[in-house]
Amino acid sequence: MPIEFEHVSYIYSDGTPFRYVALSDVNLNIEEGKMTAVIGRTGSGKSTLVQHLNALLLPSEGKVKVLDRVIEAGSKPKQLKSLRGQVGLVFQFPEYQLFEETVLKDVAFGPKNFGVSEADAAEKARKALKLVGLDESYEQRSPLELSGGQKRRVAIAGILAMDPSVIVLDEPTAGLDPQGTVDMMKLFRELNKKHGKTILIVTHDMEQVFTFCDNVIVMENGKPRISATVGEFFKDSSLCREMDILPPALIRMKDALREKGFRFDGNVNDMNALAGAIVKQVKKHG
Amino acid sequence: MGNITLGRYIPLDSPVHKLDPRAKIMAMLLVLVAIFFPAGWLGYGIIFLAVSFMIILSKLSFNFIWKSMKPMMFMMFFLFIINCLVLKTGTPLLTIGKFAIYSDAVKQTLYIVVRLLLMIMITTCLTATTKPLDLTLGIEDLLSPFGKIGVPSHEIAMLISIALRFIPDLIDETQRIIKAQESRGVDLKEGKIMERIMAVLSLIVPLFVSAFQRAEDLANAMEARGYAPGEPRTRYKVLKMRRSDWLLLLGAALLLAGMIFLAFFA
Amino acid sequence: MGIIEVKNLSFSYDEEDNAVDDVSFSVEEGSYTTIIGHNGSGKSTVAKLIAGLLEKKSGTIVIDSMELNEENLKKIRNRVGIVFQNPDNQFIGSTVRDDIAFGLENHCVPQNEMDGIIEEFASRVRMTDYLNSEPTRLSGGQKQRVAIAGVLAMGPKILIFDEATSMLDPQGKDEIKKVINQIHRKSGLTILSITHDIEEVTSGDYVIAMNDGKIAMTGTPEEIFANEKKLKEIKLDLPFSVKLQKELVKKGLKLEKSLTMEGLVEQLCRLNSNM
Repeated sequence: MPIEFEHVSYIYSDGTPFRYVALSDVNLNIEEGKMTAVIGRTGSGKSTLVQHLNALLLPSEGKVKVLDRVIEAGSKPKQLKSLRGQVGLVFQFPEYQLFEETVLKDVAFGPKNFGVSEADAAEKARKALKLVGLDESYEQRSPLELSGGQKRRVAIAGILAMDPSVIVLDEPTAGLDPQGTVDMMKLFRELNKKHGKTILIVTHDMEQVFTFCDNVIVMENGKPRISATVGEFFKDSSLCREMDILPPALIRMKDALREKGFRFDGNVNDMNALAGAIVKQVKKHG
Repeated sequence: MGNITLGRYIPLDSPVHKLDPRAKIMAMLLVLVAIFFPAGWLGYGIIFLAVSFMIILSKLSFNFIWKSMKPMMFMMFFLFIINCLVLKTGTPLLTIGKFAIYSDAVKQTLYIVVRLLLMIMITTCLTATTKPLDLTLGIEDLLSPFGKIGVPSHEIAMLISIALRFIPDLIDETQRIIKAQESRGVDLKEGKIMERIMAVLSLIVPLFVSAFQRAEDLANAMEARGYAPGEPRTRYKVLKMRRSDWLLLLGAALLLAGMIFLAFFA
Repeated sequence: MGIIEVKNLSFSYDEEDNAVDDVSFSVEEGSYTTIIGHNGSGKSTVAKLIAGLLEKKSGTIVIDSMELNEENLKKIRNRVGIVFQNPDNQFIGSTVRDDIAFGLENHCVPQNEMDGIIEEFASRVRMTDYLNSEPTRLSGGQKQRVAIAGVLAMGPKILIFDEATSMLDPQGKDEIKKVINQIHRKSGLTILSITHDIEEVTSGDYVIAMNDGKIAMTGTPEEIFANEKKLKEIKLDLPFSVKLQKELVKKGLKLEKSLTMEGLVEQLCRLNSNM
């Protein structure tokens, strides 16, 4: 079941001088089982959009369909909790939500809130920790003593332990080093491919979108301007330039070379293929 | 947070906004003291007129002042009920069965309500027309004579201004943590006692951790830019008393003198 | 002798493992040096030690021919400015103007000179239009520009950036990188930038790569990128254009070393039109 937004608007502080329309008349379809990137400038409504998925924010107008639930403006939805278990939302800098004495307890906190027994919650927590690449030696340590990257893994495990079918991540790699970033993205790809999770990632990093995601949604002034597959979006840099986004290095390189008379077909999408295509053309001339 | 008016600065261009914060703070203190003299209805009437004049001069709407008072209304009503139950002197005004409301209960409540309303009007007049930072500067300057007896006026002012600077950030942070924990199934509105305690812990611990991180970053940033508590530094913002400021002080002092006269000599 | 001379510097947070372990390097006056390394490699700690915010365990730090010690701390602070990672947590004043004034107040600059200085440095980071703005109304990039102005206004000789762009969006990163380059070119300040941004490394003159509290490699960007194996070992990557260039050379093209995409494109162009 896909996720659908129908004429959704969201207004902060309505009826006060601070009124601010964060989303206006959003119509959107998010494919199930795919990894979708939500991109756009700061303040374009990305975070507001994704907070509708687990009903942290309720639409001011329109309706949101998530899994088997319909959340409509004006009606008070019941049992939000069960939805929050099915749609796991990881906030930016999630390491700041850790609070328990031990890593294991912290990760088990989510499942316990959803009524899972103590023993089962611990079991789920162990599994989730394994998924994020932290072995048993971490279980009894205090989450506050870990390094930044490890803390973030624990926080993400805390959401995975709830076993959600949709996982939403708001800038999950902000502040990580390049290696940490790639490892993190690989983890999400694995959750998507191996475990069939629908994944939504809010990000500014085009390299991540290009390398790891299936679909792209570009937000602008509270509206989705573009909703496309990654292949379509990065066919050349024209869409990026139009949206004032710096395209991934490979696309920039391809475009710069195209301008100088090189030709590439659509499937030149990694370094090896690009190098091959360049060498072929240069040798023909050389 | 958008609806709270009490204590909020309203940026307007008025003569009151331009007054020296020290003069405003001192005047406020003088008038607040004046309210506590039992000067009777005539006295309160005079103060009310004087404060109303300041409010009009500051271009604040009475609607705004009224909004600031609203949160107090419940408290005042509560006070009235207690007074009705306790005070049984004066003449009975209203009798319901065995229960009677006496005139002194009404009178006492009205006295307190009027004083409270006046106090809110006066403090709002200060906070709505003075930028928080100017307020701190004013406090710093007013406290500086006490430096000789060990009052760290500059440090107090720095503390207040940093607190003011970071309040919006901390509010944002709190809301973010609430949402993050709600996403983990925390229910802040219902649940058993143990669950409630965990819910509160899950907010407070992260809030503290992040506040400490902030404090550390801030301390580093301040130190790196050469700040050392207790060492001499110059000040960018300098306050200057002008004739209008002295006039305000004079007015406030006269008001106080008048109340003392009404209370004890009239 | 460099403007920064670090010899056998060690530091530990917890008395056990050294976060910085026997580190020695020298930074030339007027150079743009980048320090790279994965999270936890000790690079930020080195920056804080040089800025006198942490106390070393052993070794010496000499800045502008003065040894960093209790006695010289104040003088050295005047010569070293540092811009931190988090844009919110280093904005001290309630407006841009007040924030730039903060450092001047600490350095006892006379009140009547402040406005001139504030305006001059705000214009250098192109924040003149925002002088009376409050931090909540500014973007991350703008806040970082204010932080840079605040530090520059104190007249340092060395400017340290401690991952100053890592919390910014692409626009913000771009703004700050441009400002840094501009400052370096125009004012000739010594720049020491701790960064994860491998593309930024190419715009510097010299690179220090750290791993586990030790220096793993030093050299010009060309020298560093030549040693791909070592870089991989310490979990660092090459910039895209360098990677592509290596791939092309492997496939039989003859290319001169060039760090930037533009340089590579130009060379390929020449090869392609050599008919």
